[in-house]
Amino acid sequence: MGLTNTPSDLLPGTLELLILKSLVAGPKHGYAIVEHLRVTSRDVLHVGESALYPALQRLLVNGWAKAEWGVSETNRRARYYRLTPAGRKQLAGERAEFERMVRAIQHVLEAT
Amino acid sequence: MHSWLRRLVYLLRQSRHDAELREEIEAHRALRAAHLESEGLTAQEASDASRRAIGNVLLAREDVREVWLGSWATWWQDVRYGLRTFRKNPAFTVVAVVTLALGIGVNTGIFTVVNAVLFRGLSAPRAHELVSVSQSVQGVPDLAGQEAFSTSEYFAYRDRAQTLSGLVAYGNARGEATLGGDAPRKILGALVSCNYFAVLQQPPALGRAFAARDCEPGADLVVVLSHELWRTAFAADTGIVGRTIQLNRQQVTVAGVAAEGTYNGSAFLVGSYLAPINAGRLLTSDDSRYDDDNSLWLNLLGRRKDGVGSGQVRAELDVITAQLDRQRPGRSTLLTIERARPAMGQQLRGTATGAAVVLMAAFGFILLIACANVANLLLARGTSRSHEIGIRVSLGASRARVIRQLVTESLLLSLVGGLLGSVVALWSFQALVALAVPAMLPPWFPLVLTVDVSPDLQVLSFAVALTVGTGILFGLAPALHVSKPDLHGIMKQDSAGAGSSRRGGRLRGTLVGVQVALCMVLMIAAGLALRGLHATYTIDPGFEYRSVAFVSLESAFDGYSPEESEAMRRRLMAALAALPGVDAVASVEQKPLGDDMAPALFRLPRESERESRVGEVVPVSQDYFSVLEVPIVRGRAFTEDEVRNQTAKPRPAILSATTARNLWPGGDPIGRTLLWESPGLPVVNTLQVVGVAADAQLTALGQIDPYYVYVPGEGGAVLVKGRTDVATTVSGIRAAVRAVDPTLVVTVLPLEATLGWSRSISGTVTSLFGGLGVLALVLASVGIYGIVSFAIAGRYREIGIRLALGATAWSVLGLILRGTMRPVVVGAVIGVAAASAMSRILSSVLFGVSPADPVGLGGAALLVLGVALASGVMAARLATRADPTATLRHE
Repeated sequence: MGLTNTPSDLLPGTLELLILKSLVAGPKHGYAIVEHLRVTSRDVLHVGESALYPALQRLLVNGWAKAEWGVSETNRRARYYRLTPAGRKQLAGERAEFERMVRAIQHVLEAT
Repeated sequence: MHSWLRRLVYLLRQSRHDAELREEIEAHRALRAAHLESEGLTAQEASDASRRAIGNVLLAREDVREVWLGSWATWWQDVRYGLRTFRKNPAFTVVAVVTLALGIGVNTGIFTVVNAVLFRGLSAPRAHELVSVSQSVQGVPDLAGQEAFSTSEYFAYRDRAQTLSGLVAYGNARGEATLGGDAPRKILGALVSCNYFAVLQQPPALGRAFAARDCEPGADLVVVLSHELWRTAFAADTGIVGRTIQLNRQQVTVAGVAAEGTYNGSAFLVGSYLAPINAGRLLTSDDSRYDDDNSLWLNLLGRRKDGVGSGQVRAELDVITAQLDRQRPGRSTLLTIERARPAMGQQLRGTATGAAVVLMAAFGFILLIACANVANLLLARGTSRSHEIGIRVSLGASRARVIRQLVTESLLLSLVGGLLGSVVALWSFQALVALAVPAMLPPWFPLVLTVDVSPDLQVLSFAVALTVGTGILFGLAPALHVSKPDLHGIMKQDSAGAGSSRRGGRLRGTLVGVQVALCMVLMIAAGLALRGLHATYTIDPGFEYRSVAFVSLESAFDGYSPEESEAMRRRLMAALAALPGVDAVASVEQKPLGDDMAPALFRLPRESERESRVGEVVPVSQDYFSVLEVPIVRGRAFTEDEVRNQTAKPRPAILSATTARNLWPGGDPIGRTLLWESPGLPVVNTLQVVGVAADAQLTALGQIDPYYVYVPGEGGAVLVKGRTDVATTVSGIRAAVRAVDPTLVVTVLPLEATLGWSRSISGTVTSLFGGLGVLALVLASVGIYGIVSFAIAGRYREIGIRLALGATAWSVLGLILRGTMRPVVVGAVIGVAAASAMSRILSSVLFGVSPADPVGLGGAALLVLGVALASGVMAARLATRADPTATLRHE
């Protein structure tokens, strides 16, 4: 089980993009976001808390998400993050930008 | 919500935020543990694994802080560091904050007054749409310096302007009206266009606003009472609407009562009623301004239409002005359109602006002294901190970083000081103004005057700008200085003496010199003003005032026809002359030392108009000279016939002795002629000198006018000379006036009240400068004490050796003071020079005392030097008292 604790393995801003995407389906708490990313990435992306929480706070500072306390499925108090309209807009923009980047990288790798 | 606002919220509740983050991460771990357990691990294994997986929580917390604060983090660090150093040096902090609070406080305070007088806008709903329109006319000498409009000009602008939803005109009702009833009194009114309440959007509280028909010719006279008059004179009677009241002996119907706070047409005077624009003639029979195209008497206020900019209004009104100018050849008019503010008159505005500049400068001195003091404290402290700063610099802090830290600290000091000082000032200046304003008004002033000094947005912006500016002003120089430490020296030895370079000494010396100079200016001003105040009690004005009372008949007969008024005035004069104990009665246009002067131009028959001299022409009745005991030194006084008939050509004239000397040096003036004109009037009068009177200070105390000419005539003031004491005379006069006509409202006062006014103004100016001077002196002596003790601090060892080797305490004291008192002396000399350059400003309260008066100037200078020396000696004696062996052992 490899731990991907540092975000530097990803392109800058990608973690925020992935978190935004994982919130589209509905509000989630931190652990649920990590699990969501792990499962949907087919067990490749293991996001550690020291990367996750600063990233979540960045969403809050920029107003892309709102946080509120709620009760988890195991009856624990947990903080749920909810996407804001500004966050939705940001996701669309970031996503387009990310796809552009990935295509660019592919072009470089495939060049002969 | 903006992201910086979210950052601010974060800052304010940082500890709560941290706690939430801790709880959140713990919840995260627990969820992971539960998950692992459900996959078959034991509780212990799950807990351990989840703890391993969580990574470095502390690091995550630091990262979160960084996310929130970004560039703020270092700034916030500076603030917290500054607060910590202040907590560790409470004495320094308290002295600095109190000094700054004083400096910023008095300046914010005086600005509330200046703001109230000069800058406050007009208060009305949607006031930002309102504009004041004024004009300045070129090419017509008679209209020079006026800014109001004639009635026909107002109608032209009102009817043609499309960019305005309404244009209001208002002028003062001539003179003060007399409100009838059991206790008649004088009140101030305004004549307004009938759209007044609609355009200002301030409907009356009771009754109705003026309608267009009220302003039509022949309409019945109606008034709207001010809320204030309604409360004070009519006991807030809600049944007042529709009733008639007596105004200037006319029956007037009350149409309504204005809402509280409705603009009453005057900047500071409390207005009592509003009447339609054309009602002037009904209230005062000789008021012809409404029909006179050459009478510029209306102030204009316009309300911009929705979405119309002030540029559009200006463009349109300029076109109308050009149309009007075309109908009047030779005239060119310039309009001023500005944010609406109460009408004030150009002359008063000029005087007030001048006074404001002097006041702000005087109060600014206090702030500069306070800044110099705190800068000195910071320098001294900076030197003792040079060790710390040296270490920071050698650990890699950039100079800019160190400067930012130091300036942040000084900004913190000024913010606390500014807040404290401003709050106290806003309270105390309201009380001060309530005391000072009545003292500055002449005792015969019939109306109520208010200056609203409550703070507004402008005051707040001023206080904030002043606070921040102060923080940078006193913080930057020491920061620049301290942040350039001699690293090598600091690392080699300990903090004692390190960094106290000659450069720092010179900067500190300059600051003290500036303090002493500013202090000197204020104290000399106070000293001279005090001499002026003394003069008002001791001076002989050259006329008798102790046994004389005066009666002011100004606008007392309003509402009577000119013939009735004249008959009434004669009856009154006769009644006064017949009073028991009254020696003589004189009629005069201007009472001595009054405030109502009219300049006149004189020239000799052979001289051209350009050689005219400016002076005063005073119409007086025959007994004037005997009532005031001004001797006729040559020729004769006027005869009763000359006063009554005034038909003689050329008119007889009596000159003051100085005037005679100035016009005919060495010659006999009797029988000579001279020409007299009033500025703006085309009539040239020929005067023939029949007598010369001794000089008297009649226009201002301590002042002999170079050209002062009496002509026969009568006027609105009566001087009554009694044999008994003046209080008896005054009450006798009051009874006589009531007997003649109980509805007359006249002012009766002892003539000494005119001197009392001079004394009261002089006393106010003296206490103003005296208060500021003492404040400055206290601050400066704290500053001097500071630099002397600082200079000693680095020399304890040297002093100890000198004392041990047998030097006397006095010689050591002299040694210390010689070095530190030089800037004091230099500052004092500069201060005296600056004060004598500026003392002309004070001339109006000196009452004949020379601006170089040795007592006032020398006394103030000696006081400042003495206090400076005393505070230096007090600080220096600490060093000479020290036990030399103890000092040397300490090293």
